[in-house]
Amino acid sequence: MGQLQSLSDQFLTQSRLRRWSEIKIKFMHFKLKGLSSGRRKRLAKTLFRMKLTSLLLLISFLQVAARGTSQEVSLDVKDAPLEKVLQEIHQQSGYMVWYDVDDIRKAKRVTISVKRVSLEEALVTCFKGQPLTYSIVNSTVVVKPRKTESADSTLVQPIPPLEIKGRITDSTGNPLEGVSVRVKGATKGSSTNENGYFVLRDVSEDAELEISSVGFLTQTIKVGSRSTINLTLSRDNVQEELVTISYGTQKKATLTGSMVRVGGEDIRRSPNTNIANNLTGRLPGLSVTTPSGEPGVNNSRLSIRGTNTLGDNSPLIVVDGIPNRSFERINPNDIESITVMKDAMAAIYGSQAANGVIMVTTKRGKAGKPRITIDLSQGYNQPTKTPKMADAAQYAQMLNEISYYGNPSGGLNQRYTPEDITLFQNGTDPWGHPNTDWFGTVFKTWSPQRYANVSMNGGSENMRYFLSIGGRSEDAYYKNSATKYEQYNFRSNIDGKVSKYITVSFDVSGRTEISNFPTVSAEAIFRSLMRGKPNRPAYWPDGSPGPELEFGDQPAVTSTNLTGYDKNKWYRLESRLSVNFIVPWVKGLNIQANASYDKIIQNDKFFQKPWYLYTWDGNPDHVLGKAPKGPNAPALSVLNNDGQNSTVNAYATYETKIADNHHLKVMAGTERNDASNSYMQAERRNFLSAEVDQLFAGATDDLMRNDGYATQTARLNYFGRVNYDFQQKYLFEYVWRYDGSYIFPKNKRFGFFQGFSAGWRISQENLWKDNVSFINDMKIKASWGQTGNDRIGAFQFLSLYQQQGQTFILGVDNDNKRFVELVVPNPNVTWEVAQQTNIGFEAFLLGNHLSVEASYFYNKRSNLLITRGQSTAGLTGYSPPAENIGKVDNKGYEFQVGYQNTAGEWSYNISVNGNFTKNKIVFWDEQPGVPDYQQSTGRPIGSNLYYEAIGIFQDQGDIDKTPHWEGAVPGDIIFKDVNGDGVIDGLDLIRNTHSDLPTFTGGISLGVKFKDIELSALFQGATGAQLYVHPESGEDGNYYKDFADNRWTPDNHSTTYPRAFNGNNEYWRSQSNTYWIQSTDYLRLKNLEVAYNVPLRSSKSIQALRIYANSFNLLTFDKGTLIDPESTTSQLGIPYPPQRIVNFGLSVTF
Amino acid sequence: MRKYFINLSIIICLAGGFSSCTKTDSLDLTPLSQYSDATIWKDPALIEPFINTIYANNLGSPFNYMRLACYTDEALNGLYGNAFNVNRSLITADSYLEWENGFGSDHTQHFTWDRLYQNVRRENLFFEKIGEATSDDPTWIPRLTGEAYFNRALSYHFLLSLYGGVPIITHSFTLNEDAKSIARNSYADCIDFIVGQLDSAVALLPETYPGTQVGRATKGAALALKARVLLYAASDLHNPAMNSIVSGGYSNPELLGYTDGDAQGRWTAAKNAAKAVIDLNLYSLYKGNPAPGDSVAQNFTDYFISTGTEEDILLQYLSLLGYDDYPALRVAPNGYNGHGSTTPIGELVDDYQMADGRPFSWSDPDMAAKPYEGREPRFYASILYEGAQWRPRPADVVAIDPFGLISVGLVVNGSGQIMVGGLDNREGPINTSNGGYTGYYLRKAVDISFDPTFGNPLQNVPFRHIRYAEVLLNYAEACAELGEDGEARTSVNMIRKRAGLPDLEGSLSGDALREAIRHERRVELAFEDHRYFDVRRWLIGNETFTKTMHRADVKYVVGSPVTSYRKSDGSPWVQPNITNAENGVDVRVFNKEDYFFPIKRSEINKDPALIQNPGYN
Repeated sequence: MGQLQSLSDQFLTQSRLRRWSEIKIKFMHFKLKGLSSGRRKRLAKTLFRMKLTSLLLLISFLQVAARGTSQEVSLDVKDAPLEKVLQEIHQQSGYMVWYDVDDIRKAKRVTISVKRVSLEEALVTCFKGQPLTYSIVNSTVVVKPRKTESADSTLVQPIPPLEIKGRITDSTGNPLEGVSVRVKGATKGSSTNENGYFVLRDVSEDAELEISSVGFLTQTIKVGSRSTINLTLSRDNVQEELVTISYGTQKKATLTGSMVRVGGEDIRRSPNTNIANNLTGRLPGLSVTTPSGEPGVNNSRLSIRGTNTLGDNSPLIVVDGIPNRSFERINPNDIESITVMKDAMAAIYGSQAANGVIMVTTKRGKAGKPRITIDLSQGYNQPTKTPKMADAAQYAQMLNEISYYGNPSGGLNQRYTPEDITLFQNGTDPWGHPNTDWFGTVFKTWSPQRYANVSMNGGSENMRYFLSIGGRSEDAYYKNSATKYEQYNFRSNIDGKVSKYITVSFDVSGRTEISNFPTVSAEAIFRSLMRGKPNRPAYWPDGSPGPELEFGDQPAVTSTNLTGYDKNKWYRLESRLSVNFIVPWVKGLNIQANASYDKIIQNDKFFQKPWYLYTWDGNPDHVLGKAPKGPNAPALSVLNNDGQNSTVNAYATYETKIADNHHLKVMAGTERNDASNSYMQAERRNFLSAEVDQLFAGATDDLMRNDGYATQTARLNYFGRVNYDFQQKYLFEYVWRYDGSYIFPKNKRFGFFQGFSAGWRISQENLWKDNVSFINDMKIKASWGQTGNDRIGAFQFLSLYQQQGQTFILGVDNDNKRFVELVVPNPNVTWEVAQQTNIGFEAFLLGNHLSVEASYFYNKRSNLLITRGQSTAGLTGYSPPAENIGKVDNKGYEFQVGYQNTAGEWSYNISVNGNFTKNKIVFWDEQPGVPDYQQSTGRPIGSNLYYEAIGIFQDQGDIDKTPHWEGAVPGDIIFKDVNGDGVIDGLDLIRNTHSDLPTFTGGISLGVKFKDIELSALFQGATGAQLYVHPESGEDGNYYKDFADNRWTPDNHSTTYPRAFNGNNEYWRSQSNTYWIQSTDYLRLKNLEVAYNVPLRSSKSIQALRIYANSFNLLTFDKGTLIDPESTTSQLGIPYPPQRIVNFGLSVTF
Repeated sequence: MRKYFINLSIIICLAGGFSSCTKTDSLDLTPLSQYSDATIWKDPALIEPFINTIYANNLGSPFNYMRLACYTDEALNGLYGNAFNVNRSLITADSYLEWENGFGSDHTQHFTWDRLYQNVRRENLFFEKIGEATSDDPTWIPRLTGEAYFNRALSYHFLLSLYGGVPIITHSFTLNEDAKSIARNSYADCIDFIVGQLDSAVALLPETYPGTQVGRATKGAALALKARVLLYAASDLHNPAMNSIVSGGYSNPELLGYTDGDAQGRWTAAKNAAKAVIDLNLYSLYKGNPAPGDSVAQNFTDYFISTGTEEDILLQYLSLLGYDDYPALRVAPNGYNGHGSTTPIGELVDDYQMADGRPFSWSDPDMAAKPYEGREPRFYASILYEGAQWRPRPADVVAIDPFGLISVGLVVNGSGQIMVGGLDNREGPINTSNGGYTGYYLRKAVDISFDPTFGNPLQNVPFRHIRYAEVLLNYAEACAELGEDGEARTSVNMIRKRAGLPDLEGSLSGDALREAIRHERRVELAFEDHRYFDVRRWLIGNETFTKTMHRADVKYVVGSPVTSYRKSDGSPWVQPNITNAENGVDVRVFNKEDYFFPIKRSEINKDPALIQNPGYN
């Protein structure tokens, strides 16, 4: 019924029409009281019928809605049901009519013909001889049985008291517990249970309910005629919500640093197995690029506020307060939120914080009955884009052209005759003239992925728990793929209140990440796919795999497990014990201590065995020769990595209020972190059989070997924070860290980092409150500070010699070790210093529905570790160490505008974010004597040197009159003579101003919820990046179709595409030039989710059921790039392309 | 109260735990997988691996995919479908092209300024630090020192051969030490320096090593290197009377060679240095006096796959574990799943004489009709040609060719249409893009018993950096230049005797003798990294290089359609037409600047005192 009601809400704007149906419903409730169970059943049926009735009524109302209201009525009906006549009266008069459906069915049919009579008169006629009578109360006609006196007295009450039931959920449909549901202006109130349900008795129709919960926007709703109120609360953006910050929590209202947060519910909207990809576009300031979608590979590039250093830009990852944990494979259902710290307030993390900090917080238990949630989903992935390659006929023609260019006297058919090309084209000779689409042959359309998770959450006031266990799997694009990712994980987060003053939390989580790969790397497989010649068969017509490209390489086979396997298992066990002690003797003093111990075991098993390919001798009997490829006997290599990471910290927080208005919070603590890894490797070859894949089964010969090495790290630091606010109006924060790291020499080991920030909640000023009421909250904030970046190789201050993997062989086969000097030591090596300035504001307008946030930042990095490779002459012969000499400026701004609101049972939100960054190398080691247009200084990081391609030589005359590369011929690319000296040489290279990282990234997220249906979408885009696309085409590989279609040929002179080329043979292939650069600006529908929260009626066992479908990278708009715009390229082609995923799932809570 | 006590003790324990782990000296970690400077230089057992690195980097990976032979008129590497850009005179001060950037260019990469100076630094470090070392074995440190001298000479020898006079650096640079005004030393200074280094090495190095150490530099290796260095120094390229084509108009000819005129003295020094090796009486040619029943070709074949003989002076062994290179796989024909790189070109193949000592000529109709019959034994030991017997074919194509005969040709019909392509041809059924373009494959130093596959690519054959035959040829060349023709001929005849060839004519002298010695050197030392330097020091780049190279075009013209390359008994359908065809994909250019490498523009930018070589800007 509730559903229908809101449907009518949607369409009916005129209150009189709405009343009609409302009255009926209310009446039913009235009647329900005190009935036997048998009657209840009957009534339930009636209710259903009534639904239909009201729908019909609704439709007829719509038709008459335009008519006016009048107290005079005209009726002309014959033998009509009373109900119908009453409807007509209602329409004409505007009076409400209130009746019981059961009663009205007993009424006799009515025949009446009156014109412009009073309402009373018409009613009298209608009710003449009826078993019913009527009375008029205000503007309502109340129909009642003629003889029932008691009913009469009830009906005298204009509005009967009601019982309101309902359920409150958050925007993802999860039930909200402890939500306060109160009658406005009264003491009457209730709160939701653990499943979000509430009941409120004896509420009048006029009452307004106020529904509120900490962290959510308060909603007020008029009861009206409803008996069921299901509501979605939107998260509040401001208020008293406590957010997790480094070493503690803080009220959101008093935050002054630049932070951005995403809740677990949004992360879960994306069906990726790697959650780093789920963050793309959701957090302004955080850029995530995913160059490869290969299952089980963690290679997302995360950067906060663009590129700030010439070194490592990756942010510090902190999971549940423990730094340097791995986060990409955390079970998304375990995540409470992810917070990104973007400015100098990350200084509390000292020398690791300059690139920003990503803090992941996992879920904890909430008191209540155990709630068990089961999540299941099934998805399908495919490449977003596979390169379109030339077909066999085109390829054959291009090879002919290559021969022609090498030897023009031989003509245009030196390799393939016109008949050959026709045969390639028409496909009539699949044995001799195949036409192979390598990507199409090796890939399947969709590759499955699965996810299952069970979590349990609950507890008492003294003991709360969150437990989860789950697993997932993901298949790769290849048919019969050897590549497959599997994961199993569990988590147990337990909080126990030992006493009034002591809370102990004990968290354990574990994860097995199993990446299965073929023995050939994805890069090699994709290289083969790109090289795959369309005129060679992947499979012979009889189904046998075709011949190798070379070295046994045949991607249709090497992408499968026919070549053996590479099984890489990571076992992670993470534990944390934390104790919180509220010091009873000092009010406001609180001591927290944490100890974590993480264990990492990696076990990689690489088992190779020969595989078989088939060659045809060209005879018409089509007998194929079979030969083993790869190793001549199975071989096994195993690697074990035993690692641990321990962190202990303790900090004390003292919080006090002085004279009521001054709020002061001081925190100080210390932390110690140790990690070590040791690796062991062993290999044996020449197994007798592939049956047993254990080391013992391999031969104990000269090819047997073993290896081992180890690493260790240690850090120690002291940190603290001071927060002060005056009436939550003037805010001030100071953080510091005294940080020591094993990476640096003793005298440079400890550094002091600090950050200041201040905020002014201008909206708290009375003047503002009185005059700018539409802005509910406005905060201006600024921060400045210094952080460090220590992401360099350790021990650069020592003169070290390293053993090389290769040996020096003497006396036929005696392996002798080789030592090599690493770098010239730099005794002064220390961390990079980041000076970060941030100015911004955040505002909440229109009853907190609209939020606007913007900030400008200016990061000045100095002490960048640069090797003087550019200015160190080669004759010195040394590898210069990193020295703290570089300087980079990075400026930019970012914004986020969000609007959220509810209208009846609709709720919706929209949020737009974007960030623009521009970096500039202020100083680094520039090669002396390089002309200005080639220098990197003053230009963005990652910009490379290119010749400028300005056209295509059409004929010899063109070449003769233009400065050209020695040996240029028609069809070659013209390089610009930049310095105008008439010669094309290295001085004509110019430095480009773009890199493969975007300068602008942004996202638009949309969410709409209507009753039980939700839809959310995330568009994400990036501009300013470019890619150098240089395929290995020619005799060794196929061409992009785009190139093949448009190339310059002797007969068809193109002015934009050069001639067919062979490998890197042409100068415009071996010399980097702008012809091969492609802009990768794109906009894509990163994420789309549709969910249905199945309304559950009387069932008590199931609390919630959510069915959804979501997707990743569903649509992409770009400038026609040949490969995925988020992908990368290398000399050898493309990596495994990013994924498009569609996923279907359900989540059920008991 | 008791509860408080428990709480308190938790706090105390935590605090205690903290104070114990917050000691700052606990951050004094040491690297677990590296050695410190101080450790290394105390102990010869740790210094030896440091020297090993120097050897490895000086010797490079000569069996690599892109062998030095491919940058000479010995071979074509079909990797790019045509001659390397380096072979087309396209190297500039900005880019060494494939020499340093190409796929598999590891070996040529080590022949570059930066890489060789890295070795110079290592050698200099050694001399600065060796004083700290002590050893109970009194021979150990002198031997290591001798090896360091030998290697420093070798690094500078390569630098000098590639660039001309280079800065002689004899100390290790410290961080930020100024290197902005270091000028090039003259060619003559460099020669003197190298010779001095080798003299020191000779005094310290042993004549032989125990079996497990063979491969280190010996006294003989130092003497032989000195002979090579002095021979190069005496050659035309560095002789002011001869090298005007290169140094003419160049303002710093002292960087390219000598500027005074004592050529006789230089040839004498070269001769004496070679003689010193001969006089060691440690070395002789392997099977230098073949017995009448001996297969001379087999002797020559065996020698190059042996792991050490009386002829070898400096060998580089390869690892079975796959660290180094894959000589057999790299050069094997595509019909054996090989890479087909380093394919001999027609010009080299034609230089192998007939068995009776006559030169081979395509204009001789008998020779042209059967070009692979009656050639000298070294031909059969070095070249794989059409119809040559080679090893069994891989399983998938053994049915096509059960005989293991090299098949580089095409079977065509009367109108020239291809009926069947040979397995080792680019029209065959397997790995066509690895097929050679020249009609030949390399056999020298390939072990026929070894089945090269990509999974099992290694053959256990060393590369011969210095062998006695070279010393004899060095000696012969110096003698001939000094007019000591008899001595020269005797020396060359030793080589020819081992090769099963008749002696040189007794009357041979002057230019004809010079040509004969150069010819002998080209054939005997082919594919052993000599030709690249010989072409330059003899100033014959232009005549050997600027042309379209030749290939063997092999066609069987059959009257009626056939479906296999040969008859079922392995004999050909018809006699092949083998022609000496121009190889359209192998067009080469050599300009006068190609006698020396350019110093990189970037290097001159860093050290403006460096003067560029002629012909480069």
